[in-house]
Amino acid sequence: MVLVFIDHDGKKPKKGGLEAITRARELAGALGVPVAGLVVGSGIGEVAEEAKKYVDTLYVVDAPEFADYTAEKWTAAAHTAAQKTGAKAVVAPASRTGRTWTARLAARMDAGLLEDVLELEPSAEAVVAKRYTFLNRVLEKQKAAYPVVISIKPNTAPLAEPAGEGQVEALEVALGELEQKVQVLEKIQEEKKRVSLTEAPVVVTGGRGMGSAEAFKLVEELADLLGGAVGATRAVVDAGWRPYAEQVGQTGKTVQPNLYIALGVSGAVQHQAGMNKSKVVVAVNKDPDAPIFKETDYGIVGDVHQVLPAMIEAVKKLKD
Amino acid sequence: MALDFSLTEEQIELQKLARRFAREQVAPVAKEYDEKEAVPWPLIEKLHEIGLLNISIPEENGGLGLGLVEEVIIGEELGWADMGFYTIPMASELGITPVLLAGNAEQKERFLRPLTEKPALAAFALSEPGNGSDAAALKTRAERVGDHYVLNGTKMWISNAAEADWTVVFATFDPELRHKGVVALVVERDREGVSFNKIHGKMGQRAAPTYEMVLEDVKVPVENRLGEEGEGFKIAMLTLDKTRIPVAAGSVGVARRALEEAAKYAKEREAFGRPIIDFQAIQFKLADMMIGLETARMYTYYAAWLADRNDPRHIYASAIAKAYASEIAFDAANEAIQIHGGYGYVNDFPVEKLLRDVKLNQIYEGTNEIQRVIVARHIKKHIP
Amino acid sequence: MKFVAIIRQVPDGEAKLKEEGGRIDLSGATMILDQMDEYAVEEIIQLKEKHGGEAVIVAFGPERTKEAIRTALAMGADRAVFVKHEGDADPITEARALAQVLKEEAPTVVFTGGQQADWDSYALGPAVAEALGWPSVAWTTQFELLDETKAKAKHDLDEGAQVVEVALPAVFTTQQGLNEPRYPTLPGIMKAKKKEIKEIPAEELGVRGAKVEILSQEIVQIERKQKILDGTKEPEKAAEELVKLLHEEAKVI
Repeated sequence: MVLVFIDHDGKKPKKGGLEAITRARELAGALGVPVAGLVVGSGIGEVAEEAKKYVDTLYVVDAPEFADYTAEKWTAAAHTAAQKTGAKAVVAPASRTGRTWTARLAARMDAGLLEDVLELEPSAEAVVAKRYTFLNRVLEKQKAAYPVVISIKPNTAPLAEPAGEGQVEALEVALGELEQKVQVLEKIQEEKKRVSLTEAPVVVTGGRGMGSAEAFKLVEELADLLGGAVGATRAVVDAGWRPYAEQVGQTGKTVQPNLYIALGVSGAVQHQAGMNKSKVVVAVNKDPDAPIFKETDYGIVGDVHQVLPAMIEAVKKLKD
Repeated sequence: MALDFSLTEEQIELQKLARRFAREQVAPVAKEYDEKEAVPWPLIEKLHEIGLLNISIPEENGGLGLGLVEEVIIGEELGWADMGFYTIPMASELGITPVLLAGNAEQKERFLRPLTEKPALAAFALSEPGNGSDAAALKTRAERVGDHYVLNGTKMWISNAAEADWTVVFATFDPELRHKGVVALVVERDREGVSFNKIHGKMGQRAAPTYEMVLEDVKVPVENRLGEEGEGFKIAMLTLDKTRIPVAAGSVGVARRALEEAAKYAKEREAFGRPIIDFQAIQFKLADMMIGLETARMYTYYAAWLADRNDPRHIYASAIAKAYASEIAFDAANEAIQIHGGYGYVNDFPVEKLLRDVKLNQIYEGTNEIQRVIVARHIKKHIP
Repeated sequence: MKFVAIIRQVPDGEAKLKEEGGRIDLSGATMILDQMDEYAVEEIIQLKEKHGGEAVIVAFGPERTKEAIRTALAMGADRAVFVKHEGDADPITEARALAQVLKEEAPTVVFTGGQQADWDSYALGPAVAEALGWPSVAWTTQFELLDETKAKAKHDLDEGAQVVEVALPAVFTTQQGLNEPRYPTLPGIMKAKKKEIKEIPAEELGVRGAKVEILSQEIVQIERKQKILDGTKEPEKAAEELVKLLHEEAKVI
């Protein structure tokens, strides 16, 4: 079997889960085996009802101990399911948590780990995958023999369509000493934005060159006009002008919008790692030497405080 | 087998540290300090924190006891980022060196240890409004009165003076004796009668604070005298024989920056359908920059190596290094502007500042003309 | 108490990457101690300064990894264990080898970067923990050692964060904001000369090949138009022109 971990929002499978299912089906096709799904949580009956439509068998780990995520518990659940199904391949979305527990699972199963992959070329003996390395600047082709644990890069696979009605099986996961070692004391929610940064078709990012937190009002205005989200560089977050949730870059979020506008951003490689796959990149900076201009389709060398209001006016005119 | 052009592991780590500090801390704020003519205290504090300030102070006085080779390594990196900033720690070493050369054990402990315990600077005051190259013609008067000297006069172009804990002041107790009448005195900043006027409107190196130092009946105890009466001039010259070498290192840094900026620009800028680096005229300019940079760097290291061994050849070698490096750096900065065309002329690009900054390297710490006098002196004496 | 940081040497982000024969060629590249691992080194030095004990560096890689080890020692770590290995090794393979070293060292807590800037992987920390049967906490933004047997930490999830209490020993991977890594100092560089770097060949730890084979590496640079307008004299005009281009040429608004 091919086992796919389907992440969810408490009600239904998340986009990442549906992307992972698509890849799991590719693998299953190459191996000629069925697809088993796994959902984990507490009080997830609704999720299971929806998720079963995508797989041949759905394993459900639904217990109070699984209300909060820990890498140890999630690994235990996935490992139990993998053993039950004799899965040669385990597929999961490459979310931050996904990339963490799949690493543990690969070590536990003595499997090859293909992390955050864009594409798969499965065959009967091995899987070849493509992924980015060197801060998203290099495309690497990797090969691993079965068993493999694979995490799927967000926004690279098509969303799976429902395909019938799979069997649902409750799965008992024995939790031992290791799983007790991490106790969740507190959960801190991220402020929900209207437009999710990673899903937005347009991202308008302000950097150090904006000069102050107040100046971001204009950044927000432009983002709103274009139906996009506001992004921030690490310098801006460190300065306390914007929340970490808006940070784009190696230690923040990776985005791939149709249009990425960088205002007062110098373009350090760690920032670029988070946006260099955007379809069209625009930059405004007063320093003609700024590294961002090398990675830009359209740009303006000038004072962002003069250019930005003019851009907003021009966009408003366009809308009318 | 002796000739070996490699750095030790520690020197390589030092170079990496200095380069990182220069790139991450100094370069980003260089333009701002230049525009404001402001003293970059936060950078001086950070330089002290990472142990790169006043490195020549001996271990027995709380320092690292490092030599000119290490100073040259640091100098190239800091000069690359901002020659004006580099002049600050460089001028501090200029003040420390006379104490190292002529101070007794008690003086070394008293004057040097406090410079290791916190971010602090020293300074060196030889030039006056009326004399620079003709150092022996100095007029600042030191009158011996019992157990102290009374100082009267004005010193000019003194880097760090108002920020330094103390300044080594060279004064005359008998103008008739010319260079044999000079005494070196350590003058603490807060002694009564000491005042400073900051010099404004400098062409470049504007982050480096430069002062006119006015001494009015300043009482300095005999315990602050370095060496004997009459030895002051010799102490000043022996100091400069060494301290001109870090100036050369700073020039090398500026030359390297000029080459890197010009090469980067030449690869991006297009004319007549191709990047201008494809054209021989530009290639030759860049090649000349590199020829100057490589030779200046190697020779500066050689001069430092000689000086660290107290090999007498360092006297002319330091003069050659100082003059040559500042001249190739000036040419490199000049050509870097030329390669940038109109953009080289505006301060959005970093190259015009390189020229403004490095011009001073041809003037201070002994003009390039005086450096040639020193070299000629060696020729006259030793080359038959 | 013993605090361990696992470090990796990676190419300097500023350096331009070179490709040779279908593989990235690092022979001329400036290599540095990975920035995410720097948070790990800083954390163990701070823990040692606060609680006493030893701050130990563990590294895996080719000979020149020693430069990064020396940087960590110059920052203030006490000694290092270096598993020398030439060639490719995936995070799981490396984790297996390091687990043996850590089993012997028996530290109180282990830190490593949340990700490293060459293989772009999050896996090393969790895989090391798994190989040792220890818990792991990824993307840690705050850490407090409660005593030798437990710690409290805040770490990032996919959205939002969690505060957890963890039984030690455990592996924590770092996230920006955990601390402010110090520069090495020149006195530190000189003291590092005398600090021990124990070298172990990877073969001795049973490392033979890797579970994941790298077939090829290709620098992918999206060719950008680089149409830059001058907005210094007439910013409004430039802005209008830009919006026009985005609407008519790029068709993104």
